[in-house]
Amino acid sequence: MKLVHRNLVRNGPGTVKLLPEEEDDLWHAYNLIAVGDNLQAVTVRKVLREGASGGRDAERVKLKLEIVVESVDYDKEGSVLRARGKNISENEHVKIGQFHTLELELKRPFVLRKEIWDWLALETIQQACDPTASADLAVILMQEGLAHLFLIGKSITATRARIETSIPRKHGPAIAGYESALKKFFEHVLQALLKHIDFEVVQCVVIASPGFTKDQFRDYIFLEAARRDLRVIIENKARIVLAHATSGYKHSLKEVLDTPGVMSLIKDTKAAQEVRALQEFFNMLTNDSARACYGPKHVEIAQDRLAIQTLLITDTLFRNADIAARQKYVNLVESVKKYGGTVHIFSSMHVSGDQLAQLTGIAAILRFPLPDLEDIEM
Amino acid sequence: MPRKVVSGPDYDDEYDEYDDYDEDYDEYDETGYGNTQHPAKEEKESLKNSSNTVPVHWTCSMCTFSNHESMMYCEMCGVFRESFVKSAKDGSIKDAVSAVSSELKTSATSKNGSAKTSVKTLALDFDGGAERKHASTSRDKADSIQLASSGSTSVTAKKKTPVLSEEIPVERTNFQLKADESGGASSTSTNDDVTQKLSSDISQLCLEKNNVNVTKPCPPEYKPEAWMLADQEPEVLSQLNLAIVGHVDSGKSTLSGRLLHLLGRISRKDMHKNEKESKEKGKGSFAFAWAMDESTEERERGVTMTVAVAYLETKKYRVVLLDSPGHKDFVPNMISGATQADAAILVVDASTGSFEAGMDGEGGKSVGQTKEHAQLIRSFGVEQLLVAVNKMDAVGYSKERFEFIKLQLGNFLRSCNFKDSAITWIPLSAVENQNLIKPPSDARLTSWYQGLCLLDAVDSLKLPSRDVSKPLILPICDVIKSQSTGQLAAFGKLETGAIRNGSKVLVLPCGQEATVKSIERDSNPCNIARAGDNVAVNLQGIDGSQLIPGGVLCHPGFPVAVANQMELKILVLDITIPILVGSQVEFHIHHVKEPARIVKIITLLDKTGKPTKSAPRFLKSKQNAVVQVALDGEVCVQEFSKSRALGRAYLRSSGRTIAVGVVSRIIGQDQN
Repeated sequence: MKLVHRNLVRNGPGTVKLLPEEEDDLWHAYNLIAVGDNLQAVTVRKVLREGASGGRDAERVKLKLEIVVESVDYDKEGSVLRARGKNISENEHVKIGQFHTLELELKRPFVLRKEIWDWLALETIQQACDPTASADLAVILMQEGLAHLFLIGKSITATRARIETSIPRKHGPAIAGYESALKKFFEHVLQALLKHIDFEVVQCVVIASPGFTKDQFRDYIFLEAARRDLRVIIENKARIVLAHATSGYKHSLKEVLDTPGVMSLIKDTKAAQEVRALQEFFNMLTNDSARACYGPKHVEIAQDRLAIQTLLITDTLFRNADIAARQKYVNLVESVKKYGGTVHIFSSMHVSGDQLAQLTGIAAILRFPLPDLEDIEM
Repeated sequence: MPRKVVSGPDYDDEYDEYDDYDEDYDEYDETGYGNTQHPAKEEKESLKNSSNTVPVHWTCSMCTFSNHESMMYCEMCGVFRESFVKSAKDGSIKDAVSAVSSELKTSATSKNGSAKTSVKTLALDFDGGAERKHASTSRDKADSIQLASSGSTSVTAKKKTPVLSEEIPVERTNFQLKADESGGASSTSTNDDVTQKLSSDISQLCLEKNNVNVTKPCPPEYKPEAWMLADQEPEVLSQLNLAIVGHVDSGKSTLSGRLLHLLGRISRKDMHKNEKESKEKGKGSFAFAWAMDESTEERERGVTMTVAVAYLETKKYRVVLLDSPGHKDFVPNMISGATQADAAILVVDASTGSFEAGMDGEGGKSVGQTKEHAQLIRSFGVEQLLVAVNKMDAVGYSKERFEFIKLQLGNFLRSCNFKDSAITWIPLSAVENQNLIKPPSDARLTSWYQGLCLLDAVDSLKLPSRDVSKPLILPICDVIKSQSTGQLAAFGKLETGAIRNGSKVLVLPCGQEATVKSIERDSNPCNIARAGDNVAVNLQGIDGSQLIPGGVLCHPGFPVAVANQMELKILVLDITIPILVGSQVEFHIHHVKEPARIVKIITLLDKTGKPTKSAPRFLKSKQNAVVQVALDGEVCVQEFSKSRALGRAYLRSSGRTIAVGVVSRIIGQDQN
């Protein structure tokens, strides 16, 4: 994301002009735009016009509109961001108060005005505009009969393909059926790999699976690449690495990111930090369960006693439509920081953030044990 | 010392832990069902009923074949049409009722699944005492129908359908009572409790009636037909499903291969081929294992990956060997392949270090597969275990080593709820052929061991009871499509009921009906398969994409539930990371696995099954609890009290089994 122009007061009103450049940026924009903000962008609208003869014709007009946002939608598959709201800018085609939906696109700047720019929003902008290379990693997570292809960016994990076929078990003479089914399955995965992975962008491709499926698949693609002369694969052989996973389901992705080999590839990225932080939380829960807690109620109690060392929280909680609830979480994060704790804000688009969201979205590692949390119902 | 397995008729009841679940089940009924109501659905359904047109076919009561209306007897089996027979001999009221039920079945078969069940339940509850009024009115109707029945089926069915919408609620309520009764009776065989419960159940009947899609308990009125129960011909041995489990490289496949070879199941030519090829690869010791591991991948790596099925005959049984993979990555395959087991052989590697690895994992860090498999096998419902202490040759047939293993493993098995008397310990060596089908010949072993050899021990196993008299349930383990004929075959073990050629079956989860074309057992055609048989069923009249492994074949009148939200009673195994609300797990049940997450930890249970603490923060090792899970996809499932095979579930995470349990309540099909 590019910050084109900025005119704001910390914890006060102001505007920024931003230019999204990659898909991740739309995700940041999604986190940034809240209900009630003013958003201005160039858009296209179908306008009905009455001609002199009385006939009506529709025309698509390109115009610049400013709206008061009423809802924001993010489509993670297509990376599209839509903001809906009432028009507030004077315009010859659109009346004030008419509804319009702005679709934010890459390479199209937009202007955002907020009444209050809190530290969280500022941090999001800062993060989004950080030009350090994003670790683009492709992971093929598979087990016999099921494969997922993920692209892991700075702050989002996108599922690009999901391949599912049924593979028969071995039954004496029918063993040929098993092998041909497996081959067909591999072929589907290979096609998905060729279609979705651009080696210009992606640093490396991780193939992960339980058992030997990963080795089988790697052998298969190398063989096929040589046979069909697939230059992309032959040239990038060294960038295809193997890792172990215990299943082909999405939640096993965190195991893949946790393996040392992969960790070293992505070690400075947000994804890796999140995985590590969550791992620490689980370790604490295992070893000293009184020093870990989760769920808003428990975490709040812990903060009242200033016990929080590390706070894990998903960004979904900040997108809360209920302003008061959002404010509550913002204050919580602020107060944890004030008392010297660290805060990890998880992207709910990553697999670790997804898991945290399942665990109510908020968790904490404590400085000292609070055994009486056991007795408080969640 | 090796003991014969002692078991009485009440064998099951002694295995307390799991049977507790049956009794508690009723409470859950009362508390929970009221929450889910689908009044809209109910109405829609009744509408559907009344608007449906009635076919001009009748279903044979014996083989469920659809015959044309003009036929007086069944085309398939030659049985006379029921109503025809009955109207001829001036039947009693009861006869009339059953005649009606058969008529209704006729009209039902062509309708879609949901409509069918309601029609069915209507027909089933005529003798329900609780609602005498309704019963008597319907009897009147039945009489009038009786008069017309020999004339035209379509008229009677039409008359009946409009009444349906009013009667459904009442009928189903009766129906639930019965289910409880039968559930209680079968598990505890005391009826006193049940009668008390009846009154309380009546109070909540109005709530339960709405659970159309959620619960379809096996109606107690299911009447097995004569051919299903017919005693098996004396010369045919009964079938025993025997799983072979154990840690990786303990010699499971080699043991199975060796057994097959010794019993003449592998031709000399094949054996020679295996020996030659394995020597070429420099893996001479794998020759026997190759009889089981047929895929190139398995052979290359010397590791079994999926469950291999082989058939052999002992003096007493036709044994279906299920040779499961031992490697920890393939435990999911082991679960989906070996759930059919009636009994198991746990193979343990006696050689120094290997046994320890099997118990405590590599480097003592985690749980070895000897332990994990033993726990899983127990949770499959297997009670009888043969522990084959393999590779005794490697430790010089030492008695001390054998006793050491017996002590260590015995303690653990006891903690898994295996009874000492149901475990047989056998020292053997598959490679040197000691103590497999004949008593050992090596002096070092004979000097201290006089017990049974493996094959005799298999014969000493008791067959578990088979529920032939319940409606058909066959979980599909595998589907094979013949390339040449395009015919579909479903493999699996019949859990309850029976089928024969020409039977109609309902294929779930898609809900289509199909006809059984032929049945194969170990590649030999047979006419009838009963509960406990492991068969391949060739089906006709179904699309290939609808028949999937993990589905279930069942009786068209008694479908099992399809759901993605359910409540489980679980026992947490040895785990390091506690189970939290929101934990993501892999959910295994019969032959399916689905990603799932824990939605709620409802309550902790103490040893006696009483709830102790509600909504705990997390679950730790060895705790019993009730949890609610949500699955990503839908699976065929039944409450444990109704069907054991479809009611056992396993939760896995990060490559380990974290909990085993049973389904205590099916909540439904909410979209997450």
